[in-house]
Amino acid sequence: MPGADKETDLTERIEAFLADLKRGGSGTGPLRGSGEMARETTYLLRRITAQARWSSAGDLMEIIRNEGRRMTAAQPSETTVGNMVRRVLKIIREEYARSRGSSEETEQQESLHKLLTAGELSEENFRQHFVLLKANVIEAINELLTELDGTTDNIAMQALEHIHSNEVIMTVGRSRTVEAFLKDAARKRKFHVIVAECAPFCQGHEMATGLSKVGIETTVIADAAIFAVMSRVNKVIIGTQTVLANGGLRAVNGTHSVALAARHHSTPLIICAPMFKLSPQFPNEEDTFHKFVSPHEVLPFTILCILTFLSELKVNSVSSPELITLFISNIGGNAPSYIYRLMSELYHPEDHKL
Amino acid sequence: MSSRGGKQKKGNVTSEQEEEEQPLQAVLVADSFNRRFFPISKDQPRALLPLGNVAMIDYTLEFLTSTGVQETFVFCCWMSNKIKDHLLKSKWCRPTSPNVVHIITSDLYRSLGDVLRDVDAKNLVRNDFILVYGDVVSNIDVSQALQEHRHRRKVDKNISVMTMVFKESSPGHKSRCEEDDVIVAMDSKSKRVLHYQKTQGLKKLQFPMNIFQHGSDEFEIRHDLLDCHISICSPQVAELFTDNFDYQTRNDFVRGILVNEEILGNQIHLYVTQDGYGARVSNLQMYDSVSSDMVRRWVYPLTPEANFTDQQGQGCTHSRHNVYRGAEVSLGHGSQMEENVLIGRDTSIGANCHISNSVIGNNCTIGDNVVLDRAHMWNNVHISSNVEIHQSVVCDGAVVKEAVHLNKQCVLAYNVVIGPNLSLPDGTVVSMHHPEEEEEDDDDEFLSDDQEVGHSKDKTRQKAFNPAEVGPEGKGYIWKASMNDTEDEELAQCLWGLVLNPDPESDSESEASEESQDRSRSVSPEIDDVNAFQLEVLGTLQRGLEENIVCDNLVLEINSLKYAYNITLKEVMQILTRVVLEYPFQQQGTQLTTLQYTGSLLPLLKTWSPVFKNYIKRAQDHLDCLSAVEELFLEQDTHQTAMVKVLMKMYQLEILEEEAILKWFSTGATNDKSRQLRKNQGLQKFIQWLKEAEDESSEEGE
Repeated sequence: MPGADKETDLTERIEAFLADLKRGGSGTGPLRGSGEMARETTYLLRRITAQARWSSAGDLMEIIRNEGRRMTAAQPSETTVGNMVRRVLKIIREEYARSRGSSEETEQQESLHKLLTAGELSEENFRQHFVLLKANVIEAINELLTELDGTTDNIAMQALEHIHSNEVIMTVGRSRTVEAFLKDAARKRKFHVIVAECAPFCQGHEMATGLSKVGIETTVIADAAIFAVMSRVNKVIIGTQTVLANGGLRAVNGTHSVALAARHHSTPLIICAPMFKLSPQFPNEEDTFHKFVSPHEVLPFTILCILTFLSELKVNSVSSPELITLFISNIGGNAPSYIYRLMSELYHPEDHKL
Repeated sequence: MSSRGGKQKKGNVTSEQEEEEQPLQAVLVADSFNRRFFPISKDQPRALLPLGNVAMIDYTLEFLTSTGVQETFVFCCWMSNKIKDHLLKSKWCRPTSPNVVHIITSDLYRSLGDVLRDVDAKNLVRNDFILVYGDVVSNIDVSQALQEHRHRRKVDKNISVMTMVFKESSPGHKSRCEEDDVIVAMDSKSKRVLHYQKTQGLKKLQFPMNIFQHGSDEFEIRHDLLDCHISICSPQVAELFTDNFDYQTRNDFVRGILVNEEILGNQIHLYVTQDGYGARVSNLQMYDSVSSDMVRRWVYPLTPEANFTDQQGQGCTHSRHNVYRGAEVSLGHGSQMEENVLIGRDTSIGANCHISNSVIGNNCTIGDNVVLDRAHMWNNVHISSNVEIHQSVVCDGAVVKEAVHLNKQCVLAYNVVIGPNLSLPDGTVVSMHHPEEEEEDDDDEFLSDDQEVGHSKDKTRQKAFNPAEVGPEGKGYIWKASMNDTEDEELAQCLWGLVLNPDPESDSESEASEESQDRSRSVSPEIDDVNAFQLEVLGTLQRGLEENIVCDNLVLEINSLKYAYNITLKEVMQILTRVVLEYPFQQQGTQLTTLQYTGSLLPLLKTWSPVFKNYIKRAQDHLDCLSAVEELFLEQDTHQTAMVKVLMKMYQLEILEEEAILKWFSTGATNDKSRQLRKNQGLQKFIQWLKEAEDESSEEGE
């Protein structure tokens, strides 16, 4: 029976993806950037749409929500996965609405006025069956995939507007987006990059080699020197793991200190973040927020016999939105205060909690 | 790396591809073949004991799966039904699992050797496989080691048979198991193991010189290694176990390979990793430290909140200071979870409790004002108010009544009730099984569990609980002297838990220790050859005396022993001399007076003189024999006066020649002690008498 085969194939793929997520970042699984993660999630969701059994949009949304819940539970710190699930859910809602032929009006957000005037609003149940829905949804997901493929280029294209000749730029750790951004600017302009090494994982070293290969003048500094060097820096350009709903950041550990130093010296802090990193999370959910890994890097296992103390290694830190000057995403530059608006465009409010 | 790989591919493309296509296999031994966890393991096999609320075997399977193992053979023996049930319910047996688990059960496995022989008999492995125990917790990336192993095998034409994985950790580290402490001599470049020795109980270590004489010029002798008990084996390993039916453990195997290296040409290599974590839960102390390492996230990503077993409702949240909380946990007013605490789901904790470094299972209830430090509580445990628990294990279903103090290293096994108002001293073990039961079913240790349980129920009814031991409302028996292996006696001081000093009078004890002695003799012949030979010689002579065996036959027996144990002629003579001279001590205790000693020894010398004569022929033999005599009397310095009589008798029996004695006397003195010995009055006289006799005889001759 080919149908059953398809089904097991699908569950196998989902299981493998979940297992990968769980082992993520430990070195045992394939280590990936969030861009790749976003793409893979979307591919998987497209496959689910194509292969799972569903008859109406409601069924499909239920299936995707279930799988999405499992995926986010597998690695709560990897917010991209949840974001992509929300994007796909939004796509299904839109396509369903379009198939029903409802106007733009109903699709828009509920306002206070509407709530007052509408009275008993008929709850949308997504139960109607449309033949073309599947094809339309897959088509829309494909569009999302092309958008994802182009994000880094779209961000890098804006580099020349932000980086000028003979500027001193500081960055922290390694971010693929920032690397592409700086490399793009280096084609036309000459500038100096200072990279904070970002101990204990020292991704900064990789970043520096990557930059110097294309001829950018690069200096690696220790994290402790960030504040001292900041006075000479014209701009700080960094990447992030997640952009939070309030416009804050959840980024690699050490980012917060850079942000504070930049604020002290009134240096502009620019964040390169593709739209798929925008998450409807607020920085108050303590539990899932941080990613703690093995303390091996800061405290070698060997010396533990002498010392027994609490050892933790937190991978990320949170910075508040008021420290940030500008977000550069694939759809242009935005101030942190505008993030809420982008959020409502990308996700449906009902999907914020999966 | 890549360029090297490319070169090989050109060399033999077909074989390379064949190997690539073969799925990686693993052999998981879900049995420990020892009784370290007794009496806990009486109710539950060790592999299923929870560590951080997850069965240990799940850690091992997750480790294997994450390293890319696609086919795992799980071998179970003790309580195989339970392990099977557990595995069938787990995610490993779902059709989507990337790692296909085959469960193989048999009651006949008594050691790792039996398992591997069965692997060979059933022809299960086709390629290199990973060998682990069911209680290994690890996140080491073995793929690097695997690559090195395969590369070596390709280059050296299957010479390397095994790669052992070790983790670097300094000596005395709390996660190092003292039983498994090893010292390894290895070649720095090729990572080849030259010498491998367990250090436990040894004050002196010996390295054969020849290992340093050939091979490369750089060697390392390392003691900073933690044995992860993960080995990458080639299929030959199973065959070698079949060929050598006396191999019981991996230790035997490694030593056997190293000793026979020149004959068989097999080598063993080492893979040392700095990052990653790997340890085997081989006793309760290791359980404690591995559990605390796990809570401290050393085994990331196998952390409690990861819920890698994919069980519904097992998930928990992680917050600062390594505090993990499961679903539906309720915490009373004023209770503190200080650090490194894991609490399972549906557990409720009363007011003003103080919890640190502890693991609490699912469905537990804990009263008010409870202090828990380094406590390991499993599922469904009930703790009343005002209880204090320090570094102890409380198993499923145990009940601790009010105001009970559990001091360090206590163990409450399944369903035990303790208290109220009681303080258990350090190292108390309480179980629902009566210790005497244990002795009875000593032999059928590997019975099926149903039988076992029914059996024990009858027993528990028969015997009343002692309220002085377990409290007025208590249920359970204090468990003493449960360990039968002699090794464990030595470990009594350094290991936590079930090893208390055994009762010397109990019959089963002495029987068992004899057994284990037998076993150790058969197990590790290489190192104890000389000792074993000595014992055999003693036995032979004893029997000879009892049954009046003719000396010629004794010689024959000793000769055959000599070949069996691969002993040189010189050693034979020294040992023989020693055995004979010590014989009276052996028979009548060491408190003999000199007079009694000589009285019993001299007739013996007479009876056995043909045996001596058979071995002592050349001049050098005489000297060797004399030095053996000297050595013995140097040790037994209270009996030095007897030496003259012995020498005299030997001279009279023509075992020793006067020339040899004179030569020995004049030249043999090498240190102060032996010089002192030679100043002994009796000896001086004897020598003088000998000299005169010689003179006379030579005069006569003239």
